Amino acid sequence: MPDWASYVRQNLRLRTLRPEREAEIVEDLAGQLEYAYRESLNRGLTDEQAQDAARQHVVDWASLSNELDHSHRGKESAMAILQRQAEDRDVRKRRTFSILSDLRQDVLYGLRVLAKNPGFTTIAVLTLALGIGANTAIFSIIDAVMLKSLPVRDPQGLMLLKWGARQSPKIHNSNSYGDCVTSIGGANAGGCSLSKPFLEDVRTQTNVFSGLAEFASAGAMNLSGNGPASRVNAQYVSGDFFQTLGVGAAAGRLIAPFDDTPSANSVAVLNYAYWQKAFGGNSSVVGETIHLNNLPFTIVGVAEARFNYLTPGNGYDLWISLSQRSRLRKGWNPRSDDAGSWWIVAVGRLKPGVARSEAQNKLSQLFLNDLLHADKPLAKEEDAPAITLEPAQTGLTGARRRLSTPLFVLMMAVGIVLLIACANVAGLMLARAAARQKEIAVRLALGAGRARIVRQLLTESVTLSIAGGLLGIILAFWGARALLAFLESTSQRPLGFTAGLDFRVLGFTAATAIITGIAFGLAPAVRCMRVDLTPVLKDGSGKGSSEGHGGRGWLNLGNSLVVAQVALTVVVLVGAGLLVKTLENLKSIDPGFSTNNVLNFDMDPTLTGYKGERLATFYRDLRDRFNAIPGVLSASYSEMSLLSGSLSTTGFHLPGTPPKKESNADYLPVGAEFFATMQIPLVGGRVFHPEEYVQAAKEEADPKSQSQVPEAAIVNESFVRAYFPNVNPLGQPFGATGPGITGDPDQTVEPGWVIVGVVGDAKYNNLRREVHPTMYVPSGEGGSFELRTDGNPMAAMDGVREVMRQTGSDIPIFNVKTESEQIDALLFQERLIARLSSSFGMLALLLACIGLYGLLSYEVAGRTHEIGIRMALGAQAGNVLRDVVGKGITLAATGVAIGSAASFEVTRFLGTLLYDVKPSDPKTLVSVGVILLLVALAACYVPARRATMVDPLVALRYE
Amino acid sequence: MFNRDLKKGSTELLVLSLLDQRPRHGYEIGKLIELRSSGKLHFRIGSFYPILCRLEDRGLITGRWIERAGERRRRYYKLTSEGRTVLAQQRSVWKEFVVTVNDIVRATS
Repeated sequence: MPDWASYVRQNLRLRTLRPEREAEIVEDLAGQLEYAYRESLNRGLTDEQAQDAARQHVVDWASLSNELDHSHRGKESAMAILQRQAEDRDVRKRRTFSILSDLRQDVLYGLRVLAKNPGFTTIAVLTLALGIGANTAIFSIIDAVMLKSLPVRDPQGLMLLKWGARQSPKIHNSNSYGDCVTSIGGANAGGCSLSKPFLEDVRTQTNVFSGLAEFASAGAMNLSGNGPASRVNAQYVSGDFFQTLGVGAAAGRLIAPFDDTPSANSVAVLNYAYWQKAFGGNSSVVGETIHLNNLPFTIVGVAEARFNYLTPGNGYDLWISLSQRSRLRKGWNPRSDDAGSWWIVAVGRLKPGVARSEAQNKLSQLFLNDLLHADKPLAKEEDAPAITLEPAQTGLTGARRRLSTPLFVLMMAVGIVLLIACANVAGLMLARAAARQKEIAVRLALGAGRARIVRQLLTESVTLSIAGGLLGIILAFWGARALLAFLESTSQRPLGFTAGLDFRVLGFTAATAIITGIAFGLAPAVRCMRVDLTPVLKDGSGKGSSEGHGGRGWLNLGNSLVVAQVALTVVVLVGAGLLVKTLENLKSIDPGFSTNNVLNFDMDPTLTGYKGERLATFYRDLRDRFNAIPGVLSASYSEMSLLSGSLSTTGFHLPGTPPKKESNADYLPVGAEFFATMQIPLVGGRVFHPEEYVQAAKEEADPKSQSQVPEAAIVNESFVRAYFPNVNPLGQPFGATGPGITGDPDQTVEPGWVIVGVVGDAKYNNLRREVHPTMYVPSGEGGSFELRTDGNPMAAMDGVREVMRQTGSDIPIFNVKTESEQIDALLFQERLIARLSSSFGMLALLLACIGLYGLLSYEVAGRTHEIGIRMALGAQAGNVLRDVVGKGITLAATGVAIGSAASFEVTRFLGTLLYDVKPSDPKTLVSVGVILLLVALAACYVPARRATMVDPLVALRYE
Repeated sequence: MFNRDLKKGSTELLVLSLLDQRPRHGYEIGKLIELRSSGKLHFRIGSFYPILCRLEDRGLITGRWIERAGERRRRYYKLTSEGRTVLAQQRSVWKEFVVTVNDIVRATS
């Protein structure tokens, strides 16, 4: 018998009807033709005649198709008609297959399908937006910190001069400002700070650079003349700095070569952001005079907005010329500009036609020559001192080094979150693919190729992920700004980073979205390749079979996806747990002094001209006045406050050790009542006498007045353990030098110190560093004040300001922080990654729960019939509950087991970020496992409870 | 026998009338018209099927698949309540129309 259905399909050309309606019409017409054919056979016609008679029933297929197309039942939306028309064209033009038009029709169809399932689409898009958004946010920070080109003309052409030598050159002064990796003292030394004479020789003798920009931090300065005194970060730059970098002016002019001469007027150029912040972006500021450390400077211009930094993370508020250094800088002396004082960083542009290697050779020869033939040779030839040229883009590392590890860890965390989101959406798609089996089968039956359907499904998933990506960009934009604001708030100086949506970030998001779409779309697409037409088309429910979520068997695709999600969540949570534990460990460290109710603030009266005896009197007077502020229990000062990140160390000769052997200790000059204020216990001996402070102040004011008796020192218990283990440390001298002790005839005579007291161990610069042998010496001045209060330390600040006002000096107070805030700032990296990784951990947990919940809900829905029968046969609700929860918990437990094993490997990357906790910390692993299982239990309970509510009668009617 | 336009104006009424008694499948309706008109009215599936679809579109008839052992499943159409109302209207209009046409034809013949 002829296949009438094929006959109808071949001839009928419908354009506007849904596939289901089309299939119905084909079957109905085929049935009628077959009836006509059989009737003719019954009338005695031959098979051929009967077929002919039946075919005569429809002669004009075109007009029949046309009339049926005009019936409105089963008609598709205008968008779908467009899509189907395109599909028809596709059939005719299969050989001249056009990728673009296919894509268009797939996208249109995909949009229609997604719009039809708003619930599914919303959950999938939100899940993807969270995953992609978190990745984009972290990537945009990485982009801003690590990848962004320097904000100068032709950044690739800018070369940083770096020096290296097998042994550190014998220089008497070196300053580095965090611009590049620096290592001085010892073997394999290197850095990028150079001496002024060498850079002058580079300009006059090598002829390799068309421009050389020199710069050095001028440190914090006291700015007055624009409202209340404030503190600014300034940078010294050479006259051709801006010209070489190719930076323009937003207002006025920039520093020019004629500004960088000893007789030039003092001028300053403002950073654009600082100009906006401090001067409200007012152009009339050009030509005005400000005072830096009490010296007048004329503002000549503002640098263009994009030039926010040269070294990432080293932002400056204003620039002044290098020639001003001798006028401004405290501690400047004629030796500062000799060949043994290295303090200037330089970047240059090679002249056209000069190769990098050629330039390096010339510079290295000059460098070697200068070192060997200095007044006193600074290096030996065998130390092989040399200059290398490294692109400034990579050479000027700045804050990159500090931020690279946390950013790498966070990128890993968000990468895993995205994987979880993918697995989650893949699970949803699988469930939906099962529900769409009928539609897919009809399309296949109507002649669509499997590859075509796979492409359609992939287009749908990529459409979803692009929608997620677009929403993710909004989340990322907001997230990255919040993150940068957080970074900026914990930094003491402008970082200058701006996270924006540049091509790299958008490209990253687009690539992530597309790869994500393909990743989670593959599973359902591959599954549809295996659709068996006959049973699916026969099953009227359109729900697919009881096979459920991605195939038969325990380890099917749906189950595997949930196991994978749980396993990945374990990895993120274990990582986050370890980082949070690290933060807690650091916070719970006993620093050796009481951190509650302490107010710290810094000042530098030397910037406003205080020195010598006047400075010491000023400090003594201030300390007394602060002591009298209501609520202040005691006040003191020190060179730097504890746990501020700053550290000073000193080397000395320990009696009884070889003459050339140097011992080391942390070193902190402190004011009266320092130990009482910080509550560092005195273990033995005494604190400093008042006359010892007076003597110290005298020596600070005039080094020539140094007495020939050893200075009093108080040491900590670690110092005693390390250097005087078996003797009474009190009265022990150490650190004396002179020809008689070291055997060096040139050695100056220093009386050293004598131990007068021993105090308990206290942390110095940060919490992670072990307490080292530490010595405290009396001082008549200090950079930081410490106030111990009886309540909220900040409440004392009004009193402090009043005291400062009464002194009549225009000295700014900065870094006002309670000791607890100081510790928080110190732990900013730990807090940052602990906080972010826990947020990402929570996100992962939430997604995994949705995944588990979704899978079980779908299964319970699919098994309603079976559960109904079991309950009709006497199964108890408890059995059903156990069955469903058991399945969920088994999946979660498998995921926990796999994830725990995987986290052993992954958390090793955390290594240096951890403190006092092992990557394989069993407590963290167990707590994460328990949390996950508990949450999984909650996620299983709702669908399980629903299963027990199944009414056998309703369930049996279900099919 | 009759020309196309004459048939066109009355097919709907014929289909609805035949479905008034019981559900029938498409080809059966066509055959029944041919039988009851003694072959004077003959419909091909190609011209008859769109009318069935249109009636179904308008909600006057509704189709249902019925499958019997060993047979291809067929679509049976039955009258809806709205179809019944429309059939009653069309019947009376048709009667009136025939009377009116007859009056004119008789008067002029």
